[in-house]
Amino acid sequence: MTRDEFKDKILAILVDDFEFEEPGLEDNLRDDHGFDSIDAIELLGKIELILGFSFTREEKEKAMGIRTINDILDYVEAIQQSRTK
Amino acid sequence: MKRRVVITACSAITPIGYDKNDIIESLKKGKSGVGVLRDDGLLSKHIHSRVFGTVDYPINYDFKRQYRKTMGPVAYYACQVAKDVLERSGLSEEFITSGRLGVAFGSTHGSPTVQREIYKTFFSDLDSKFSSIGAVDYLRSMVHTTAVNISRMFGITGRIIASSTACTTSSQSIGYGYESIKYGMQDAMICGGADEYDTTTVAVFDNLLACSVNYNTTPECTPRPFDANRDGLVVGEGGGAVLLEEYESAKKRGAEILGEVLGFACNNNGGDLILPNLDGITATLRLALADAEMNPADVDFVSAHATATKMGDVIESQAIAAVYGKGPLVTGLKSYMGHTMGTCGVIETILSLYMMEQGFIAPTLNLDNVDKRCDMLRHTPGLTETETKIAAIQNFAFGGVNTCLIIKNGRDAVQ
Repeated sequence: MTRDEFKDKILAILVDDFEFEEPGLEDNLRDDHGFDSIDAIELLGKIELILGFSFTREEKEKAMGIRTINDILDYVEAIQQSRTK
Repeated sequence: MKRRVVITACSAITPIGYDKNDIIESLKKGKSGVGVLRDDGLLSKHIHSRVFGTVDYPINYDFKRQYRKTMGPVAYYACQVAKDVLERSGLSEEFITSGRLGVAFGSTHGSPTVQREIYKTFFSDLDSKFSSIGAVDYLRSMVHTTAVNISRMFGITGRIIASSTACTTSSQSIGYGYESIKYGMQDAMICGGADEYDTTTVAVFDNLLACSVNYNTTPECTPRPFDANRDGLVVGEGGGAVLLEEYESAKKRGAEILGEVLGFACNNNGGDLILPNLDGITATLRLALADAEMNPADVDFVSAHATATKMGDVIESQAIAAVYGKGPLVTGLKSYMGHTMGTCGVIETILSLYMMEQGFIAPTLNLDNVDKRCDMLRHTPGLTETETKIAAIQNFAFGGVNTCLIIKNGRDAVQ
């Protein structure tokens, strides 16, 4: 899946399931959209379903540094690359 | 230090209405909120009792997803009535978030609806299902879900008391909230309880032969507290909240005083966890009067727990007779809506406040022929116009827990 295809899926999830209004790729998820730790865990579960595999504990811990939608895309891209190596 | 504690706002979602005027009309016209048990796709088809005190009208919730995500149905009721009391109180956001306002709120067992889904996952024996067990499910189902969803939604930072003692849950909430203010730990408390539509509770009572089964085709004719033809309780749903405030600060800010909590008692029977206990509940009623520094003759109205079980009503009648004789009017308000479980104490308190304000006392619905073992009381004889100065609200729960609240009419509380 390309970064753009994944971006569209993530944006759809954030709008439909997390009720984001006009999400921007560089918006701060917490400050601009009230996204919290509970949401982060739920979103990771949804990303796992899209990707078709479960994250390792180490991979999940790396998600704690995510602040923006672009960070999510970078994070997923990095995991996909590391797994194809 | 002992401080006076007043009630300055209230709201209740009940089987006989949500709006105050609807509730008053139901009480005045003798309209029942008991309906037919709904199909839940699981237990309902096995239950012999086909009646339930149902909230069957739409409620326009307006909660953002940020809050909804940790709320099961029980928290919707709780947060809605808490929102109402905060809006009606006129308290500033600065005060609400100051730490001087706390929450005492509970339910019988959190959200059974959410728990049911969790258990399906627990026992599915699939890795994919296991990983879907999330923190959100726990937050929505846990036993203190009502109290902390309220505190989160409104940014309340004071103490949290999440009582969960079945039928005495919300009367404990009011009692412990009252004590928190009386002894200076908090200046105000949101107190109450909620319970959602739940057939597991009905099943428990059904199997104990404690549920009403003879009025399945005429739900409005049951429960029948104190009546010779009563055949058990009817489970119901709902939510209720009162705002308690320290009297001087409430007066200073010009708050409307709906009532004053004069006394509270809670004790345990110290033995059997199910059977009603005359000594235990008689002691509760006396302890509450002592806390209020009142004599039995001061009490004009007793809101009886009166679930319409065969033995419960008899034992309660004996306790009321032992403490009050034939003095106060006695009504079993569950006759209008069934037993709303963890909510019943706060709903019965609010209904008592409404009746005190409006100058009437409603009779026990369906009390056509008083059981001879319960006829030593002064049962409210039809809709009675009367000035009630002091009311006692009593509730008893599985586990042998008993409570009694002594409440003063708001008009008399203002001095």
